[in-house]
Amino acid sequence: MNKVSLFIPCTVDLFLPHIGEATVRLLRSLGVSVFYHEEQTCCGQPAMNAGYQKEAQKAAQHFLEVFGEDEIIVSPSGSCVCMVKYHYPELFENDPEWRRRAEEVASRIYEFSQFLVDVLHVEDVGASFSGKVAYHESCHILRGLKVSVQPKKLIQAVKGVELVPLNAADTCCGFGGEFAYHYADISESMVKNKVENYLASGADLLLLGEPGCLLNIGGYLSRNHPQKKIMHLASFLADYRREKA
Amino acid sequence: MEPRTEKFKELVARELHNPLSQKFLKVMPPIQNMKRSIGLSTFPDIEAAQAYGAAIRQEAIARLPELLEHFEKNALANGAQVFWARDAQEANEYILKLAKERGVKYVTKGKSMVTEETGLNEVLSQNGIEPWETDLGEFIAQQLNLPPFHIVGPAINVPVEEVRDIFMAKANLKEPTLDPVELGYAARLFLRDKFHHVQMGITGVNMAVAETGTIINVENEGNIRYTKASPRTQVSVMSIEKVVPTMKDALHLIRLLCRNCTGQKLSAYVSMDSGPKKKDEIDGPEELFIVIVDNGRTKIYQDLKARQVLRCIRCAACLNICPVYGQIGGYAYGWAYSGPMGQVLNPLLLGLEKTQDLYRATTLCAACKSVCPAGIDHPSLFLYYRHKDVTVDPYFGGKARPAQEIRFFKAWAWAIKRPWLWNLGIKMARPFINKNAREGIIRQIKGSFADWFRQRDLPAMAENTFHERWKNLKKEA
Repeated sequence: MNKVSLFIPCTVDLFLPHIGEATVRLLRSLGVSVFYHEEQTCCGQPAMNAGYQKEAQKAAQHFLEVFGEDEIIVSPSGSCVCMVKYHYPELFENDPEWRRRAEEVASRIYEFSQFLVDVLHVEDVGASFSGKVAYHESCHILRGLKVSVQPKKLIQAVKGVELVPLNAADTCCGFGGEFAYHYADISESMVKNKVENYLASGADLLLLGEPGCLLNIGGYLSRNHPQKKIMHLASFLADYRREKA
Repeated sequence: MEPRTEKFKELVARELHNPLSQKFLKVMPPIQNMKRSIGLSTFPDIEAAQAYGAAIRQEAIARLPELLEHFEKNALANGAQVFWARDAQEANEYILKLAKERGVKYVTKGKSMVTEETGLNEVLSQNGIEPWETDLGEFIAQQLNLPPFHIVGPAINVPVEEVRDIFMAKANLKEPTLDPVELGYAARLFLRDKFHHVQMGITGVNMAVAETGTIINVENEGNIRYTKASPRTQVSVMSIEKVVPTMKDALHLIRLLCRNCTGQKLSAYVSMDSGPKKKDEIDGPEELFIVIVDNGRTKIYQDLKARQVLRCIRCAACLNICPVYGQIGGYAYGWAYSGPMGQVLNPLLLGLEKTQDLYRATTLCAACKSVCPAGIDHPSLFLYYRHKDVTVDPYFGGKARPAQEIRFFKAWAWAIKRPWLWNLGIKMARPFINKNAREGIIRQIKGSFADWFRQRDLPAMAENTFHERWKNLKKEA
């Protein structure tokens, strides 16, 4: 039996806990046993991105202590996985012992869709949805982890779904963590473009795998186009699987 | 050119509301990206071709001191004269001296980023020597007294009506017209006249080949070739990182440069000069001066991580793909170099304390890195600079961050290893955040987060975090 350790990003923990629940339910429905370390906090990405590497190191050490023994770690976020996978080893460049621990964990952490398709070899999770969907290629999932085919395979295997092309799908939505805070006006123009492309795609629903993008694009939709839907891929697959069952 | 990098936010606010910039930015970058994709598709293996270019540039920078000496030796053997300029001032003074000694009234210039960086035009003008830019875009930008909007197309955003008016006023355009061919012809006639009597030409350098002492220029208008070939005296200005080991390396870089820049397999003109006119040759300058400018680059070279910025070949693929550049255009970056290449280079040339916005105004989306034919990892450099900024690096500079931010991250790091405290903090923050919520949606928060809420909502903080919900989920299993 497969056992995975679940790593929940802060944004999901605080604002979007249903994505975490969906991830658990979907994995369980696929026969995966899920456990969650209650000692987990934050991966350190906000500190890293702001330039506070010493503080990010503390987060990394805590993470490695909590998750260090796990064989497989799964997270419904690309940027948090990138933080652990790529930035942890860099943070301990001059500390061989912590670097070794970071590299070990780096090789065992997966973004949600990557785990499903590449490790579990599942594409059809047994969901059905009738309608048009578009997929936003989040930067850290696409360019950070080189994951793009996997989520689309999962979507296309959903019964009744039509995956329609999204213009500039691989262009950043403008979130960028602290970027949206420090440069709100540029960020706003970027998310506006993203939403214009979504509207033009003719899709009924926008899917993505990154909670940060969801807060950003979802926040803009909620204000300006409340009838237009957006979902995390894990929620989509779990919700429409459950409805069918 | 006086850097205005500290005015970034001000310039952004202006450019986001500049209808001309916005109109242009909607159209041009996507076209440039498409042309680039088509150009690259002529390589049998795109990734291999890009990686080969990155390897050449990496090697060139690793061997920089040795290659520069090798280049100098061969350039001298070809009959060129070489001047090493430690900084902008030395370069400008030397070129000014050359011009004065020869009694020239004006010079013609081929497009050169490094002379934008050193502010050569200003120095020449102040000393009564008129610099005529002969690249069409640069000529327009010069007449309008504007910085480059794009490193390859400096005036690419200037509407044709404005070009017509400038040419009527300053370039002997006889009849008003919006026809690009006629406008081009007018500029050509005007500049051709400058070339006829020119005594001294000044151009940049795309590549300097160590093994042959050859300088290479890549262009589409022929004005650089004109500038290099017409005058008695030719000055080629290059920054130290332009050197490459071999001609074979240079040829591959030309393939990459043209495809990544304009989508062409080869630009209309590529000129290679190994020294001035020889005895039995009919054209070329009688004397060739190569000015090799450091201006802060040796300092960059000393830093093993930062030195990768010197690999840049100025193709501008990163500008065209950048979603931030795509919103704000080139003026906002406040100096000669814009877009991601400017965001990684300017902070090292100008100091991290004067350029904070450049390495922070990025979402770290890595689109730039994904297209770079020189293998530069821009996002990783942005993080590197941010860290140096926070710690006020003695080498590259930095400015202390706001006290509130420092306090926040100190507290954050203290709580991060203490899950009970972390979760307590979340519990205590909830009522403060959610007092702004109506029906599960926050539409406004006053204070420093207010800008997010101009056009965006935020879901209310969940009454139960995932951490709290896990207790039930555990039972379900």
